[in-house]
Amino acid sequence: MDLFLIGLSNVFAPHVFLLITLGVVVGIIFGAIPGLTAVMAIALCLPMTYGLGPAEGMALLVALFVGATSGGLISAILLKIPGTPSSIATTFDGGPMMEKGEGAKALGIGIVFSFIGTVLSIGALMFIAPSLARVALSFGPHEYFAIAIFSLTLIATLSTGSMVKGIFSGVVGFAVSTVGIAPVDATRRFTFDVVELNAGFSILTVLVGMFAIAEVIKVAEAGRAGHNMTVTAPVMKGIRGFGFSMKEFVGQLPNAFRSSFIGIGIGILPGIGAGTSNILAYIVARNRSKTPEQFGKGSIEGVVAPETANNAGIGGAMIPLLTLGIPGDAVTAILLGGLMIHGIQPGPMLFITQGPLVYTIFAALLVSAFLMLIIEFYGLRVFVKLLAIPRHILLPVILVLCAVGAFGLSNRVFDVWTVLGFGVVGYAFVKGGIPTAPFIIGFILGPMAETNFRRALQLSQGDFTGFMTNPISGAFLGLALLSIGWQIWSGVRSARASPRL
Amino acid sequence: MSETRTKGIVVGACMLAAGIAYFYVTTGLPRRGAIDAAFFPYALAILMIVLGLLQVMASWRRSPEPADAASQDEIAKATLAADSEDPDIPEGAKPDYLSVVVSLCLIAGFTALMRPLSFPVAAALYLFLQFSILSPAGKPVPHVLHAVLAVLIATFVFLLFRYGFGLMLPAGPLTPYLR
Repeated sequence: MDLFLIGLSNVFAPHVFLLITLGVVVGIIFGAIPGLTAVMAIALCLPMTYGLGPAEGMALLVALFVGATSGGLISAILLKIPGTPSSIATTFDGGPMMEKGEGAKALGIGIVFSFIGTVLSIGALMFIAPSLARVALSFGPHEYFAIAIFSLTLIATLSTGSMVKGIFSGVVGFAVSTVGIAPVDATRRFTFDVVELNAGFSILTVLVGMFAIAEVIKVAEAGRAGHNMTVTAPVMKGIRGFGFSMKEFVGQLPNAFRSSFIGIGIGILPGIGAGTSNILAYIVARNRSKTPEQFGKGSIEGVVAPETANNAGIGGAMIPLLTLGIPGDAVTAILLGGLMIHGIQPGPMLFITQGPLVYTIFAALLVSAFLMLIIEFYGLRVFVKLLAIPRHILLPVILVLCAVGAFGLSNRVFDVWTVLGFGVVGYAFVKGGIPTAPFIIGFILGPMAETNFRRALQLSQGDFTGFMTNPISGAFLGLALLSIGWQIWSGVRSARASPRL
Repeated sequence: MSETRTKGIVVGACMLAAGIAYFYVTTGLPRRGAIDAAFFPYALAILMIVLGLLQVMASWRRSPEPADAASQDEIAKATLAADSEDPDIPEGAKPDYLSVVVSLCLIAGFTALMRPLSFPVAAALYLFLQFSILSPAGKPVPHVLHAVLAVLIATFVFLLFRYGFGLMLPAGPLTPYLR
């Protein structure tokens, strides 16, 4: 409790509070504009944190995360285009509500239940993370290797698209991470006498290239045929409060709690983030509804479920990141990068050595949730106008900011070239239907898996059986095998069920 | 149908080529026993080759996209469907690869000229040209507006990061005129 109060006092320092407010506003804008994502928002603002302390920097980044996750609902409802993948299911009923003239009500519901989902997930994070960190303190190299492999296989097999491409993406990410000085024996690998490659590729350049630059190239693909969206503002006249009654609010609470549970659970699992949880929560809400026939026609339940679940994923995704140093998706991967830039290594020791920082992050998440509620509602008219910014202006500016971020890492133009290179790789992945998230996770978890594998073998004098006889390691490796086996079996079953093409 | 099959085979061949290339560069690593710095690269290269072969074989046997879709649950299908919707490309329009190549050249030019010309000049040039290339068709390109916006944005970003965040972006020939 003392640590949480320290965290709160840090967050309410005027300059930190201002940064969080800025983060929430920018996050909402990035979430609301289709094509701009939370990853992009955080990647672009990372250079701003170079000159800040870890607490201030992380407060800004988590505020962006909260704002961007929720901001997607604005375009999902007004344009029927999800601003981010985490608001896909919101379009199913938010769009029809807008068409029925209930746009303001849909937005109000989305905003309030986004807030509820965020707050519940922060509660779960604060409750689960310290306990999990205490357990993780006893983990050794065997356990860490097994957890890394389990996370990698889960991400590769559960990401959208084919399993072969998912695993390939993760393997390529792992392969890219082998560039530079090898762990344990410090052998130089794949540097080709380029001095800048000795330290390997920076996580930031890989992320910005794969996500932000690839997105800009995708827009360029539309050429001059691309068109800007026309936005109709919702009718706000005669709307009181958030546009829905107390009875409607209370009636949606079971749905909200259930969806939060789904969001938190999926957020904890590596690889399947808010992009999946919002759709799963929607399907569960429809199956449990007394009026399933209303789904897709403007049902309140259909907006509550995805918007609660996607924001509930925020706290869930932070649990493995802070306690084990394992990012579950691209957003938490870039948050990990943000921590590492400030010389902080997430993991169980973080709770012991950097307790105030951890609780400052918790407090920043909580304050961001409240600010998101207020700013999103009162600033709605401004955000609606921002949706109309021409993309041919916006995306080149984003590219310039990406270049600034990459250059700022080590004051090297080499890093800007690297970003461009990974942008081309990211674009090639998109064109080949290969998911990019496993690549990022493979890139981050690869060194962790390799280092711990070799350390574990050193500890057990080269005996491989230690990985299976250690109960935690054995369990995670078994689960990894099960996850692959399950996917193969599902694929074979579906292939048999579907007619031969 | 044949296009998806061909695409699947091409993607698989690229995966296979990447695996073989990685295997080839791995053979150049020094060996110091069975479990050394080359152990994981070899394992990853073999895995990439196997996955590439699997992709080629699967595509050869059938069109991969419908088969993949069949193996997915409702959630994955909805996610994929939403992912594939690109609001930038109007229905029926073909991807403009020339625009992609030109944009990549512009980005490369911007990166190469950042030091010799200075960040603000290179950024302003890049922004002006990129705005014009992506400017919507069917309307006259507002060159003057694009030029003004490019200069203003490049200058603002440079000053903000140099004086606001202490990031020494390349100033090139402008260095003597700056504090």
